[in-house]
Order: sequence, then C-alpha cells, then structure tokens
Amino acid sequence: MTRILLARSMKLALLAASACIPATAFAEDTSKGDPKAGLALVYTCGGCHGVTGYHNAYPNYHVPRIAGQNYDYLIAALTEYKKGERAHPTMRAQGESMSDEDIRNIAAYLSSLGTSGTAK
Amino acid sequence: MMHSTRFATLLSLTLLSAGAYAAEGGGAPGKTVEELAKPCAACHAADGNSTNAQYPRLAGQYHDYLARAMQEYKNGERKHAIMAGFVATLSDADIDKLARFYGDMPTKLDDLAHYEQGD
Repeated sequence: MTRILLARSMKLALLAASACIPATAFAEDTSKGDPKAGLALVYTCGGCHGVTGYHNAYPNYHVPRIAGQNYDYLIAALTEYKKGERAHPTMRAQGESMSDEDIRNIAAYLSSLGTSGTAK
Repeated sequence: MMHSTRFATLLSLTLLSAGAYAAEGGGAPGKTVEELAKPCAACHAADGNSTNAQYPRLAGQYHDYLARAMQEYKNGERKHAIMAGFVATLSDADIDKLARFYGDMPTKLDDLAHYEQGD
C-alpha cells in the first residue's frame, strides 16, 4: 500500500515538474527592443548600409536600405542570418555576434527611422 | 497500334516538357506588372509600404536588391514557404519587372547614411 502511494506521489511530482518545463524553457522574451540601445549597436551596420548607393561586391547588387524597415521583419531577417538560414557571409558573421536582445534593440532603432518614423 | 503508342509517348513527352518549363519558372507572358503584383499586395500592401510589421516594406527599396531577394527565394537560398510559392512561377524578366515596380514607389525607407550612428 505504501509502495503504491509512493509510486503515485512520485508520478505526481514528475508530472508537476514536467508541467513546469515548457514555461521556463520555451518562455521567449518578446519584450520590445530599446531604440536607444540599438543606436549604440548600429555603428558597424553603417560600414555598408550607411553608404548611399553602396554595392555588394559579388554578386553585384545594392546593399538594402534598412532605415525605416518594419520592426518584426528586421528581427526575422537578423535572426535568420544569426542561425545561418540566410547565406550572405558578412551578415551571417554579424548575426552570430548579436544576442536576441541586441537584435530587438537594433530593429527598434532602425524601424524608428525613415521618412515616416511610424514603423514599429 | 504501334502508331498510337508512339503518338502517346510523344504526347506525354510534350506534356512533361511543358510541365518542366512551368516548374522552371517560364513566367507568365502577357501579364502586366500590375497583374503580377496583385498577390504581393495582400501582405506588402498596394503601395509597397506594409503596415503589418511582419512584412518588409518594398517601396523605394533598391530594385536590384529586391530582385536578388526574389531570386534567393526562388533558388531556396532564402527559405520562406509563402514567398517560395509566389516566386516559383516568375521568370527572371517578371522578377526584374516587379523589382523595378516596387523600387520606384514613394518610399518610407532610407539609407543609414542620414542618421546618427553609434555613440
């Protein structure tokens, strides 16, 4: 009888513990980025994105305009570079050096720019 | 009998190559850029300035960058189920037309050159 009870309480404990896992392991920090913190991080970006009409060397195409781009898209793009899901070597290296928080801050700053300044 | 078998083989080969052509993105000859852009507007907005932050603004982006992005979705270098589906049927000429169409629209984007950078 005690053994059954023990087994039961252990099962319960396991169940309770496993119920806690998703909450902590998968809790994504979705807090909004801080544009001021982003401003301090974009110095490197300017080397290519800060030169009007600057071209990617090979293959040859313009480096995209990123000021005023949409917040969520910027996060998605930078995260894809970080994970190696987009090919561009320089941007992959940049992405790898960024934390998720850095990415949110950079996206917050860039999306606050542009001629509308309303993209958030 | 022999004749009809040959005919059937020929016919199926023709159909196969037509299918392959379509799969390679033979494009949609005769479609205007406005017609090509219709599906894009659902997410990127008709003026290319998506108000849903999930989707990038296309209006005023460098056209060669837009074309490059579409080519990457097409060849799988960029992975996005929805974009892959849309660009699959576009020819290089279609991609170029669409890229210039959005690239020429009034923009809310800018080069980073005009802003304060770093501390």
